Amino acid sequence: MKTVVVLLLALLAQAGGNVCLSTGMRVLGVASPLDGSALGALLLQGLATPTLWLGIGLLGVFFALYAVALSWTELSVVLPATAVGYILNVACGAYILHEAVPPARWAGAGLIGLGLCCVAWSVRRPARPGRTRGDTCGPC
Amino acid sequence: MRTVLTLAVLSLCGALGDLYLAKGMQQVGALPTLRLRALLVFGRTMARTGAVRLGVLCLIVNFVTLVVALSWAEVSFLVPATALHFVLATLGAKWLLHEHISGVRWCGTLLVGLGVALLTLP
Repeated sequence: MKTVVVLLLALLAQAGGNVCLSTGMRVLGVASPLDGSALGALLLQGLATPTLWLGIGLLGVFFALYAVALSWTELSVVLPATAVGYILNVACGAYILHEAVPPARWAGAGLIGLGLCCVAWSVRRPARPGRTRGDTCGPC
Repeated sequence: MRTVLTLAVLSLCGALGDLYLAKGMQQVGALPTLRLRALLVFGRTMARTGAVRLGVLCLIVNFVTLVVALSWAEVSFLVPATALHFVLATLGAKWLLHEHISGVRWCGTLLVGLGVALLTLP
């Protein structure tokens, strides 16, 4: 039960953090990953943006809760929760940030969630004799 | 080009970060209690574990890339697209680590890949 609560809080923190980061970065303007000087200036400017700090704090909370959940249980239990997180992020983009989310994007997020559940299920299945490595070590 | 580069960095760093963090947390062991003193000891043990450090480094690169990309990309596209790292990790496990990948896991990986492909549709 405590793992479910921790994972739920982690997902909410992650979605909230991404919403805050997106809001903060949109205020700062567009950054090119290939222009080093402009990128540095933008990141420095970002240090004075409270919304970005809130986003960073929430993602820090997510990271801490995710690490604690990994210490309590297997990755195969944590993975389906992260699958729900992808759909939650699309929902936050659509309903909080008012992004135009086409049906294909919803379907894509759903397929990703379904795929991650399959990956998690394959990890939980008992390994067949002589075939233990790939079925016991998470996504890698 | 910008989107492809961003997704490549996010996927690679995400896959390596997950792998090292999971390996590191298995070395650290379970958190015994939620008391402050135990949390501090737990955090110190995490900080001393090499795999956790590597995982955190990868996730920091991943995070900075995500923040920069959020200045021009939509959350509803970018965050689900980072799931591409599961495809890369599975391919790496198969071809680099020579692990056996079960049929169910290939199906899951294919679904994730299809999902990311759907996200990129206009």
